[in-house]
Amino acid sequence: MSAANGRILRLVKNGPEREALESGQVDAVLDRTSGTALLLPEAQRALSSTAGEAANHLLAALPRRDYERLLAELELVALTYGEVLYEPGARIRYVYFPNDAIVSLLVVVEHKALEVTLVGREGLVGIPLALGADLAPVRALVQGTGSALRMKAASFREELERCVPLQREIYRYAYAKLVQARQTAACNRFHQVDQRLARWLLITHDRVRGNRVHLTHEFLADMLGVRRVGVTTAAAELQRQGLIEYHRGDIRILDRRRLETAACSCYRVDEASAG
Amino acid sequence: MVVMCLYVARDAPNSVRAVANLAEICKQYLHGRFKLEIVDVLKSPLRALKDGVLVTPSLAKLSPAPVAKIVGNLSDRASVLQALGIKG
Repeated sequence: MSAANGRILRLVKNGPEREALESGQVDAVLDRTSGTALLLPEAQRALSSTAGEAANHLLAALPRRDYERLLAELELVALTYGEVLYEPGARIRYVYFPNDAIVSLLVVVEHKALEVTLVGREGLVGIPLALGADLAPVRALVQGTGSALRMKAASFREELERCVPLQREIYRYAYAKLVQARQTAACNRFHQVDQRLARWLLITHDRVRGNRVHLTHEFLADMLGVRRVGVTTAAAELQRQGLIEYHRGDIRILDRRRLETAACSCYRVDEASAG
Repeated sequence: MVVMCLYVARDAPNSVRAVANLAEICKQYLHGRFKLEIVDVLKSPLRALKDGVLVTPSLAKLSPAPVAKIVGNLSDRASVLQALGIKG
């Protein structure tokens, strides 16, 4: 046993803390004498690993030195389904780098919402700040419960000015989102609802772990800008073809490859611009 | 309204798991009727020590009474629900 481990075991002699420690559920132990937190070896390895292992792809692409400096400004938060991060016109106070949370951005027109994009581990919520705007143009609504790292708007701006790799990642991502928005405008005009549903299911599937996606009827209708009955018909068609299983908003992707074939060509464009 | 404080070590594996497990419980049982503060003990060790925290992740339920504490990554849902005073 290492010296560090011995010290940790002396600090946590008994009780539920010791049980949690022995079952591998502990990351750090507080040391009253030094007034510091001691990381357990496994947590130490996870945290000092390269940025490449950060859950969020934008952060993972940063050089480790930059990532570690940013971490001092980043705060881990839980985002829960239905939570609103920004309303249109509100000042952006934080940017969010999702780990496993999913956030949808919705344009609100006369009390109706239309989804414009989804943000998960590949992206960032708060792009306007990087482009010089302080106010949110859209509603940011948590669609999938999970965690994210957030940073204060002022710190994000400062970091963006000094950190070229961060700039590069953010601009690349903002560009991909711009391409996707243009593509969606054309897609909404030219493609059938079932093709568009397949595209959004793929986009969502890319941002979750596993094969299950939870999307309510109402949300899908907003996402596609159609009435609920349109969603029902389109989902039933994909289900009939054996591509998905759909039950009360619980969607299971049964055949990803064929779902890609069923989706309109826009999905390929999304993929190419994101890569 | 359930008021809680979760102590984590940045985004170390058990801490991330604890956040996800707790978020899931909040979503399923508390429907917005909760307040959660997340304290990173690597940034604020003295605050954690003052609050009597020994290890992370640890969750403290501050109100309603009785105050309760649960340690570990919160994957044992039944114990978490019991500590929070929620009937599962």
